Amino acid sequence: MDQFDKMRSPDESQAIVEINLAIISAEALLKTSHWFSRDFVCEIRTRNEHIVDVLLTPRSATSASELELARQSFISSAMDFALREKIEAKTSGIRDLLLAKAFSESGVLEDQPEGLFGDRVEEAKPDGMFKILSNPRH
Amino acid sequence: MARVFHPLERFAPAPTAFHLLPFRFTRLDGKELLVNEAGEYIFVPNGTVENLANEQVDTNSELYQDLRAKHFVYDDCSSPLLDILATKVRTKFDHISGGTKLHIFVVTLRCEHSCDYCQVSRQTASRGEFDMSTSTADRAISMMMDSPARDITLEIQGGEPLLAFDVIQYIIPRAKTVALQRGKNLDIVVCSNLACVTDDILKYFRDEGVKVSTSLDGPAFLHNKNRPRPGHNSYEKAIEGIERSRAILGIENVAALMTTTAASLDHVIEIVDEYVRREFHSIFLRPISPYGFALKTRHRTGYEMGRFLEFYRKGLAHVLKVNRSGYRIAEVYTQILLTKILTPHGSRYVDMQSPAGEAWNVLVYNYDGDVYASDESRMLAETNDRTFRLGNVHKDTRRTIFTHEPALRMFQTSCNQALAGCSDCAFQSYCAADPVYHYATQGDMYGYRATSGFCSRNMQVIRHLFSIIAEDDRETMRILWSWITGQSVHGEVVECA
Amino acid sequence: MRLTTMGVARNFDESIVGIITAEKLPPDQCMDRIRLFASAKMADDERLTPYRALLCPDELQNPPDLPFIHRLRDSDHLKDGDIVVLEGSTGLVRSLYRPYELHHHLFVTERCNSNCLMCSQPPKDRDDVEVLTARNTELIKLIRQPPSYLTITGGEPTLLGDNLFTLLSQLKVSMPETELHMLTNGRAFAWPEYSRQFAGIEHPNISIGVPLYSDFAGSHDHIVQARAAFDQTVAGLHQAARNEIRVEIRVVLHKLTIPRLTKLMEYIYRNLTFVEHIALMGLEYTGYTPRNIEQLWIDPLDYQDQLEQAVEFLAMRNMTVSIYNLQLCVLRQSLWKYSKQSISDWKNAYSGVCDACTALRQCGGFFHWNTKVQSRGIHPISENLEKANHGPVPLDSR
Repeated sequence: MDQFDKMRSPDESQAIVEINLAIISAEALLKTSHWFSRDFVCEIRTRNEHIVDVLLTPRSATSASELELARQSFISSAMDFALREKIEAKTSGIRDLLLAKAFSESGVLEDQPEGLFGDRVEEAKPDGMFKILSNPRH
Repeated sequence: MARVFHPLERFAPAPTAFHLLPFRFTRLDGKELLVNEAGEYIFVPNGTVENLANEQVDTNSELYQDLRAKHFVYDDCSSPLLDILATKVRTKFDHISGGTKLHIFVVTLRCEHSCDYCQVSRQTASRGEFDMSTSTADRAISMMMDSPARDITLEIQGGEPLLAFDVIQYIIPRAKTVALQRGKNLDIVVCSNLACVTDDILKYFRDEGVKVSTSLDGPAFLHNKNRPRPGHNSYEKAIEGIERSRAILGIENVAALMTTTAASLDHVIEIVDEYVRREFHSIFLRPISPYGFALKTRHRTGYEMGRFLEFYRKGLAHVLKVNRSGYRIAEVYTQILLTKILTPHGSRYVDMQSPAGEAWNVLVYNYDGDVYASDESRMLAETNDRTFRLGNVHKDTRRTIFTHEPALRMFQTSCNQALAGCSDCAFQSYCAADPVYHYATQGDMYGYRATSGFCSRNMQVIRHLFSIIAEDDRETMRILWSWITGQSVHGEVVECA
Repeated sequence: MRLTTMGVARNFDESIVGIITAEKLPPDQCMDRIRLFASAKMADDERLTPYRALLCPDELQNPPDLPFIHRLRDSDHLKDGDIVVLEGSTGLVRSLYRPYELHHHLFVTERCNSNCLMCSQPPKDRDDVEVLTARNTELIKLIRQPPSYLTITGGEPTLLGDNLFTLLSQLKVSMPETELHMLTNGRAFAWPEYSRQFAGIEHPNISIGVPLYSDFAGSHDHIVQARAAFDQTVAGLHQAARNEIRVEIRVVLHKLTIPRLTKLMEYIYRNLTFVEHIALMGLEYTGYTPRNIEQLWIDPLDYQDQLEQAVEFLAMRNMTVSIYNLQLCVLRQSLWKYSKQSISDWKNAYSGVCDACTALRQCGGFFHWNTKVQSRGIHPISENLEKANHGPVPLDSR
């Protein structure tokens, strides 16, 4: 899926990256810019509702080929940040639970074991030991 | 009822249904490196992260089984065992529990050396003025023992602490008494250049069970260049001091640390060889901290992180070579990071912790009673910046120190989980936060990762170590593990300073 | 050596546990003794009460009023001091404890909630807990000289519920110095309350040995033939550790466990770091194994690479590992120092080809049932073993 146009700026000392906000969120874009700001001034210009242009102006002398490499690097970096966002969205709930358990007082957030105990004789007993252990009301 | 055997399919998960557990990733050597919340890592083929995000990994594949076993995914066939994972996360943060373990007492600022990078003001050698008073010592000892930690390390520094030997003699028995009263285990280390050490001083240390740590920057030309003193014989004095100390204290109770300066950067092989020649079994290739006078004299001692990386890589390679030839010597920076990467544990080294060890795990008690978050914080104060001065032993208690502004401001920026640049970083579990460093070099505690020397150094060293891990050379891994466990490659326990 | 024999039982229906005496004893010493007569004639000459019961290979001519089993098929294996159980309903005589042996087991039930493909003691779903607990309680009372080690085994011992705790408490009182090792699938320990109660006994010298066969849940569950077994076992190990119960892990080496063996070691290292010891065990051709041999059999010669890699993985990380039930001639020499002689006295046997082997004394030998299915690598070792770096360590017991 290639949502990026070719470089359009007539100014050869800058690179322009076209970003589709439907693919790469503003947050992913900002994170990418955060890192690239060491070597480039990153200027974000809104073109329309879905498209922004990122102008990368190098802070020190840069050749044309280096500039092109930087542009490509920006794109792949942005895609990685978009990927991170996706993963974070799917895992933030369980992460919160995990950290809550990690730092809770011992035993407070403990889970009961899942699954059956699996012994036919034991399960046939109405007041079997493991029934009692499993039953949270006891 | 007869029992029947069932095939694998009955116990393995359905082809598509799985869920993600939290993880971070980066790209390394043509592969993807994933790290989960407990610091467990896995190398996977390029494209795996995208497949995971889109739930397109084949649950029958070996890759899926690996991801499942290492807590990157889970499925409906078996629980995510969150309690286990939580226990692992907790283990990684072990360094938080127990309170401050390292207490540094700066007993005097006097020193007869005048090292370029020194973060201590140069003072004349007259007694008293810059020495810790007995009342300050008493209060500092009391505050030290207020720490809930059961195992306390008292590190005596300076200036040159042996110039205030009487203060040391005052402190040690009192600290031991209070430790006994409070049920603490106390370890005592004196950090000295050993230039003025005598046999009497050493015998005293031996009798009190005190260890000695000294500086050895490398061979004579380097050491003397880094550490000017009247007579230009810092190296000779250091060697003499080391030999004397070993004779009286035992070789395992004398440690050496090096300081890296611009002059050191081209000579890592000679430095390692010097340590081997002097029969040390550990060497710490650490970068110079950019504090105090170092900032002022940067043009003489300043250097870029890139040169340090080269120094480290070359140094590590040489250290490994020495190990292969049969001489056991561990590189400490590597050992610290590998402990975080390869073992379930966190690090006890205060400079590489998140939440940052500063203030939390180390406190520095200056000669005048001022309490600082770290050695570097105190050095910053020498340039009249007291941002990290947490209080004073004569006015504060441990409680007030930890609940007042300076400490609280630090704690806000002490967790790399919550710092821009770090929060997504694959190496978050292995790296650390350092508000003091960022304040000193960038002007604010929060810091800007893209230009942070701390970030770039750690990231590159960690990357380098992961390349070594990925190579999985048997002999190299055996040597590295022997550093981590403290066992020799052949299984005997090794005592090393 | 023989464990059981049959005869004809008279005068009792239930089980009787007692200590064998092959010699006449004064009346005040007879109460817990079972008098073994080499011949019927000897029985005639002696006063028979108050022995607990009598045994004789011959037919007793003047049957006494006491419980007895006569017309025993075999009796050579019954020695003075052995503790045996006599079954009144069947005439079975089972040896429970032989003081002169190095390895001792307390067998507590045949029930099990797993059904491992290679189980050496195939489970039965019959509630034998009451009967066996009564038997074992008596057995423990009769052990005169506490052994150094005692293995508690089954089936699955945790199924005894409170009865297990009672037995352990009894052992704690009567032989506190004896090192107990309980073989269990660990699943019951996943219930936090169970672990707490177990730890609550505060036995000073006990560890549990728990099998774990893969780092991948589905694979482990398949091998033990029980859903959720992996989860419960791992959770159980954690609860045990949390309650400071000492833990050992056992892995049986076969075709289903070898492929991920080192990965399993990594799983143990990362997730079960508290484990005291890892036992890697050769496959026993007994129990369920013959039925599942197609899935299970791999010649040990063919997995030496994986075994060496797994052992080295653990050794580098300073974890203690031992190899059991593999013969020295099929083990790579670098692994000899991890090999322990562990096969119980009554199971040892040597294949004929072993007669010429210089390592015979250090080698654990075979289980007698294993002589049927062997590695193609079995051969006598002819090198001078003094030259070889480390021989295997003869185990005290276990």
